[in-house]
Amino acid sequence: MKNNLKVQRAILNITQQELANLIGVSRQTINAMELAKYVPSTVLALKIAKLCGKNVEEIFFLEEDD
Amino acid sequence: MVSNYLLPNKYKKVGWFLLIPSLVLGFLLTIGIEYNINTTVFAFWFDEIMEDLVLFSFIKENIYNEIIGVCLLISLALVAFSKEKNEDEYISRVRLDSLLWATYINYGLLFLAIIFIYGIPFQTIMIYNMFTILLIFIIRFNLVLFITKRQMENEK
Repeated sequence: MKNNLKVQRAILNITQQELANLIGVSRQTINAMELAKYVPSTVLALKIAKLCGKNVEEIFFLEEDD
Repeated sequence: MVSNYLLPNKYKKVGWFLLIPSLVLGFLLTIGIEYNINTTVFAFWFDEIMEDLVLFSFIKENIYNEIIGVCLLISLALVAFSKEKNEDEYISRVRLDSLLWATYINYGLLFLAIIFIYGIPFQTIMIYNMFTILLIFIIRFNLVLFITKRQMENEK
């Protein structure tokens, strides 16, 4: 799964740490997601989407091999 | 979303505090450096070459190695199973990955020891093996978290 979390974060103009605080996870989690090393839980994906004011599909996308 | 079979974060410090001396004394014990703490203990089962079998009775025994063993187990468990300050779903996954990884490595090493190590040294390896699974887990888990943290410092 891919995501454009970094872009979303740039739009909101917040750091990884600030995003982490806003949704109540560690900064490692945000970092791992941005590097596409971690696929978040549905709950976390929904929280991020809500914070960005977008649909989950606008932030997270399936890849060919998913 | 975070699994709850973990101790609060404050126990991690207690664990480390107990683990370091326990590891040192435990290692010294396996190379023969030990102290005498002779005392009477209740044994479910006692049997030694040239001695009579004892079941469910009080015996005289040096409990130094028992104390070290118990301290090691408790401190390893405290360090391994206390929450991180910011335990969340990603850290939980690193935790589970590390546990699986540690199990593979631990039994891989045991497998090699069974094939290649004979006699008294094998017994020593078996003693180490009682504790290595948690030790390998702790090393791997903290290493991954450390590497992740360092990567983040390079990022912005």
